[in-house]
Amino acid sequence: MTTDDLIALSPLITIAAASVALMLAIAFYRDARVALVCALIGIALAFAMLPVAASRAPRQITPLLILDQYALFYLGLLFIASFVVALLADGYLDKLGGELEEFYLVLLLATVGGAALVMSAHFASFFLGLEILSVSLYVLIAYPRRSARGVEAGIKYLILAATSAAFLLFGMALIYAELGTMEFGRMASGMAGVDVRRELLLAGQAMIFVGVGFKLAVAPFHVWAPDVYEGAPAPVTAFIATVSKGAVFALLVRYFANLGDEVFQSFFPALAAIAIASMFVGNLLALAQTNVKRILAYSSIAHLGYLLVAFLAGGSLGATAVAFYLVAYFVTNLIAFGVVAVLSGRREADELEDYHGLFWRRPWLATIFLTALLSLGGIPLTAGFMGKFYILMAGVGSALWLLAIIMAVNTMISFYYYLRVAFMMFRDAPEGEAAPGGPPPSLSFMGAGALAVLTLLLVWIGVYPGPLVQTIRSMVAGLR
Amino acid sequence: MEYGLLLAGTLFALGLIGVLVRRDIVFILMSLEIMLNATGLAFVTAGARWAQADGQVMYFFILSMAAAEVAVGLALVLRLRRQFKTLDADAASRMHG
Repeated sequence: MTTDDLIALSPLITIAAASVALMLAIAFYRDARVALVCALIGIALAFAMLPVAASRAPRQITPLLILDQYALFYLGLLFIASFVVALLADGYLDKLGGELEEFYLVLLLATVGGAALVMSAHFASFFLGLEILSVSLYVLIAYPRRSARGVEAGIKYLILAATSAAFLLFGMALIYAELGTMEFGRMASGMAGVDVRRELLLAGQAMIFVGVGFKLAVAPFHVWAPDVYEGAPAPVTAFIATVSKGAVFALLVRYFANLGDEVFQSFFPALAAIAIASMFVGNLLALAQTNVKRILAYSSIAHLGYLLVAFLAGGSLGATAVAFYLVAYFVTNLIAFGVVAVLSGRREADELEDYHGLFWRRPWLATIFLTALLSLGGIPLTAGFMGKFYILMAGVGSALWLLAIIMAVNTMISFYYYLRVAFMMFRDAPEGEAAPGGPPPSLSFMGAGALAVLTLLLVWIGVYPGPLVQTIRSMVAGLR
Repeated sequence: MEYGLLLAGTLFALGLIGVLVRRDIVFILMSLEIMLNATGLAFVTAGARWAQADGQVMYFFILSMAAAEVAVGLALVLRLRRQFKTLDADAASRMHG
């Protein structure tokens, strides 16, 4: 390993070192505010290392990791999302009470896992990144000690995630047994060999996709999502929806880009079926929900379906659409769950009734939430609309008419439940000021700032997407 | 190599059945261990075919990851016991919809 390698790895090293430093800091001095500041500084430093690392890109660092424009882009996205989650967690956790320091430590560790995922070019780093992320998430989901829902969600997530990890590993083992390599880059040539048993490879790929599908919560593997979204603390739900899914999706795109067109085509029908099922399952089941976190959970299942459409479109246009949509999806979900976190007191403010007349009680917060809902639905002038537009463009460009039409139909269905929440906020305020849900929602200064900045960003991307698209185009060009 | 993979596959299926039919959370965790160890066996078998150390390295990763998972899992079991006064995984199903 040379100095250049270390420089290229510096974002990953920084964030890993930050988590160790934070652990030591907690051992000597317990204070939630100090832990928060340490975590924020750690993430900010790692983000600041990105330009330094970029000077060495593209670079393969050992067979395990790769640093290119693609990895840099997603690293930046993950770091920003974790930063925002930490800010949101600050105000939220204060209301819960108890020991809060380790929350930020585990959050940093989960970010390390995500960062390793988007840089991985080998089964070993793939697996390690995914597991660091998963095991941290078990802890984060069940973090509030008095919450029965948290324990339930944590156990459900643990059992299902561990099962899916086992599937993933077995798939990897089968592929390794056939090809004799675990590097993504060398698999394509191995698969072209004559004496390779196709059925074993196919079984391996399918098992890997089961593991990945669980993480992404796409249709046949989505059962955990609503319960975990509901049971987890709102900032953690934001983290699952954004960092966890985004990192895995970025890895999926890189993996298939490495395997080449033939494998992609052989998986096309299965992936298309999963995309269609995800869109319908997510949107139709969301119609019947009365819990805002569950609505958002089903909506995120549908959104992953849309992302799969972009992925299936393939080519650079498809990869551009995926990246653009992920940015829009990150920003929107962080805002939506951020508002839920701000409104929650000792009890999660996630029932639809909690939003009754919100606009008359807290107009700014309601406006921010409304913007997020409109973006999720894909109303023009928001990031969500531009994201859907790019996906449809990519889909039509690759002549995926069926998928594009189904996506448009599903967008129509989804308006119903997004607008239901929106209308709830504009209803007459219930008599008196007594909002359901105990103590008045409090908002830390930084959390408010983060939400405001994100909302501006949401509208800015929606109105003027040019610069972002340019960045993504140059980033996608280097993907292999 | 075929026999090794076959054995690993059988163990994996047994573990999966255990996860699906067992109700006691501790037994579910044990079944998960069986599944993970089956994958470890598959990796070692695959490594032996290519005469590489990679398979065994992966086995070490799996071993340490399984340990971490069980550590968190048992902590959750204790919390489950305290909250619901039972180890039955079905008891933890308050959320529906």
